[in-house]
Amino acid sequence: MTGALWAVLIAAFLASTVEFVEAFTIVLVVGVTVNWRSSFVGTLAAVGALAVIVGIFGTALVVFVPINALRLAVGLLLVLFGLKWLKKAILRYSGLKAMHDEEAIYEEQLAEMRARGERPSVRVDPFGVATSFKSVLLEGLEVAFIVITFGSQANASANAKGTGILIAALGAAAALILVVALGALVRAPLQRVPENTLKFVVGIMLTSFGTFWGGEGIGISWWHEDLFLPILVVFYLAVTGILILWMRPYAPRKGAPAPTEQELEQPAQQEVIG
Amino acid sequence: MNRITGAIKATYNFFSGDAIILSAVIVAFVLGIILAQAVKAPNVVVALLFVAIIVASLVATLSRELVGRKRS
Repeated sequence: MTGALWAVLIAAFLASTVEFVEAFTIVLVVGVTVNWRSSFVGTLAAVGALAVIVGIFGTALVVFVPINALRLAVGLLLVLFGLKWLKKAILRYSGLKAMHDEEAIYEEQLAEMRARGERPSVRVDPFGVATSFKSVLLEGLEVAFIVITFGSQANASANAKGTGILIAALGAAAALILVVALGALVRAPLQRVPENTLKFVVGIMLTSFGTFWGGEGIGISWWHEDLFLPILVVFYLAVTGILILWMRPYAPRKGAPAPTEQELEQPAQQEVIG
Repeated sequence: MNRITGAIKATYNFFSGDAIILSAVIVAFVLGIILAQAVKAPNVVVALLFVAIIVASLVATLSRELVGRKRS
């Protein structure tokens, strides 16, 4: 297996771990408040839907889209995605945004479900199925996107039709198995998984790969070709480190609460509405 | 109409969720294509400009988060 395919496997695994840990919290809430059968039915349906999405879009991209157009589109989308993750990571590490806390999210969701009057039952409950389906599908869409973009691009680079997407899907499947196994073992939100660090690492990877492939798509010949990729990773790590140091003095003092994810996303949402 | 707006909003939030990053990255790609394909600018110039705009978009959006905050 080439270095590019290993990078694809690792990126897909790390990104998928983050997303599946988030989805697992909701699946757990449904399992505890409604029943495990509803939770598993919703989860399996969502995993099936995601496999179909990856199969259809992945194959279509590899077969029908010319390599340069693919590099351009994949590069653009990965840079957008990567910068979104990096921005959140920088805000978290500089103390301007609260760290992602699965335990707190679990408690919040549990209270919401109980306030709705959801009580444990034996039968498959449509609301429970829909809730776990929605959470796994929404979190899994990001995984599907990463598997398709990374996989299709690795196909083109390694000149091996289908292998790239298969490798990326294997990375995602390994993450899913790991999260499910850990979840079954602890039967609690997976708060010990270093989610914030993983998001930071994935943000760096997505931005670096996006810059590299996007650059190739617009016609840039990178110095020493594939060997320039680690240079980009180190460069973005350095930039991110400098930005965290620059922003840290503006963080609220200890004791004052950092704004939540929703509070920080409000200005961006208002822009769209406005 | 509400459904269309909702779909556009959801797509925007899925891929970017940040107007500064979205517009700057599009500028980086469009400018890169123009410089590399039409103007035939030197490779190093296009590469530096491309990466610089991407980094600038991150700096700009983070600067916006600091508006109204004081150094502690």
